[in-house]
Amino acid sequence: MAASMKCAWARCLSTILLNSTKHRCQISQPLYASCSNISGDSGEGGTDQTGQEAGLADDTKKHRRDPGKAFTDVRVQKILLRLTGLDLDKVYEYRAAKGAGVAKVALMSDQQLKKVYESASYKALRKLQMPPVLGAREPIDEVLSEDPELEGLNTSKLVFIDISQRVPLKKRTIVVREPNGTLRKASWEERDVTLQKYFPQSGRKIGLPRMFQQDNLECMLDDGKHEYILNRACSQFEIDDPEYIRVTQRTYEHIHSNGKFEDLRSTRHFGPMIFYFTYYKKIDKLLVAFLEEESLEDSVDLVKLYHIVHPSCKSAEKVASMPDPTPLEIIGAFAEMDATQKSLVQQAIQTYEKECDSTDSTQLRR
Amino acid sequence: MALAIRFALFGCTNRPFFHIVVMEKRRAQRSGKIKEMIGSYDPMPNQDNQKLVAVDFQKLQKWLGFGAVPTKHVAELLGLGGFYPIHPMSYIKAKRKRTLMEKQVADMQAKEETQETAAIQVNEDTQPDSTEDASQ
Repeated sequence: MAASMKCAWARCLSTILLNSTKHRCQISQPLYASCSNISGDSGEGGTDQTGQEAGLADDTKKHRRDPGKAFTDVRVQKILLRLTGLDLDKVYEYRAAKGAGVAKVALMSDQQLKKVYESASYKALRKLQMPPVLGAREPIDEVLSEDPELEGLNTSKLVFIDISQRVPLKKRTIVVREPNGTLRKASWEERDVTLQKYFPQSGRKIGLPRMFQQDNLECMLDDGKHEYILNRACSQFEIDDPEYIRVTQRTYEHIHSNGKFEDLRSTRHFGPMIFYFTYYKKIDKLLVAFLEEESLEDSVDLVKLYHIVHPSCKSAEKVASMPDPTPLEIIGAFAEMDATQKSLVQQAIQTYEKECDSTDSTQLRR
Repeated sequence: MALAIRFALFGCTNRPFFHIVVMEKRRAQRSGKIKEMIGSYDPMPNQDNQKLVAVDFQKLQKWLGFGAVPTKHVAELLGLGGFYPIHPMSYIKAKRKRTLMEKQVADMQAKEETQETAAIQVNEDTQPDSTEDASQ
């Protein structure tokens, strides 16, 4: 019960901040802008976007899906931020890290304390910036020139990198001259390694850290270190790297099978996790968890998110046709039409209704 | 004096490493009178069998504008990188290496053949031959 109250408070705080004029709901722009997958034109990705909002998942067609476009929708972002909540204790939890200073103690009036609290809350929202969920990057396959007459000159590859100043990392030219004389653009893996050598980013290692190898990853997951894995994956990989997607999706699946959704609550990974489940239609267990916590707003938000990401689903159409649906009606419609584990969700709804009735009656008795 | 874009050899014994620098052509490379360093070239291949070349192309173009001239080997390297057309010496060196390799392969094959024929000869000599015994 205490946990759900804390959740409600955290949610309340984040909603207040979201609705205030100071905070604009923006996804992490520098991170988003640096991704190669996203282009301005909706023509990218080919023919699968006719008659629908660009990038949102289409149930019927099986083209390569691009979650990025759905993720960056403002409505989706708002819901995800609301669901993440803002638990200041958790966000400002002490972490042993380089540069972590000693806590300051100050004597303040109530007014000063209020101001500090407010500024800390806005700063905390920045800490909750979500790493975007994108599709895997397309492999680089461009040959610049073929010179078979250079065969025999070198037995090793020559890798050329442009170290000009003030060029974004994604735009740096890296080319490779093969021993057979072909001059081609470097592959993504070669790029990552070479850039890390010449422009090292803190927290990154050259090559795959052993932690992310399959067996070691499983050990870490069993130890319950989900947040650590996700944070390290975010610093090690580019967000459209197939390795990043593999690691994060495996972590989300592990959380799903153990039901430990609350571990990531009020961290920057909660939003991407919720989005992952919504995009791949696995929200039943989540919905049940929210209902068990008796947070109705979270449950409704989740179903609304599902309707935004999959606008052609049956329950979305039904809810659109209803004149003024109550939260329980929305969730009920989803449970009836689109839930994969229908009985589980409906049972959870019934349990929630009973709990509500019993609390109402106890309050009335008082 | 002649302003050049050239290699300056650093590193240590049995471990060469070149800085690509702008300096006077006839100066000693470790004299300390380098005008600007615009890149590096590691002639020893790494674990992934790569030789790494880094060049600040903006600075390179600036110095070319000032009239600096790349040396033969720098021009070859830039040709392989795609900044210049491929240097004729690259083609010549490649051809020379190919002919040398082919010659080595041919020599090896010839050697193997002679060894085989010698082995067959030895086998024939050691085998008792009825006609030879009869003649003796």
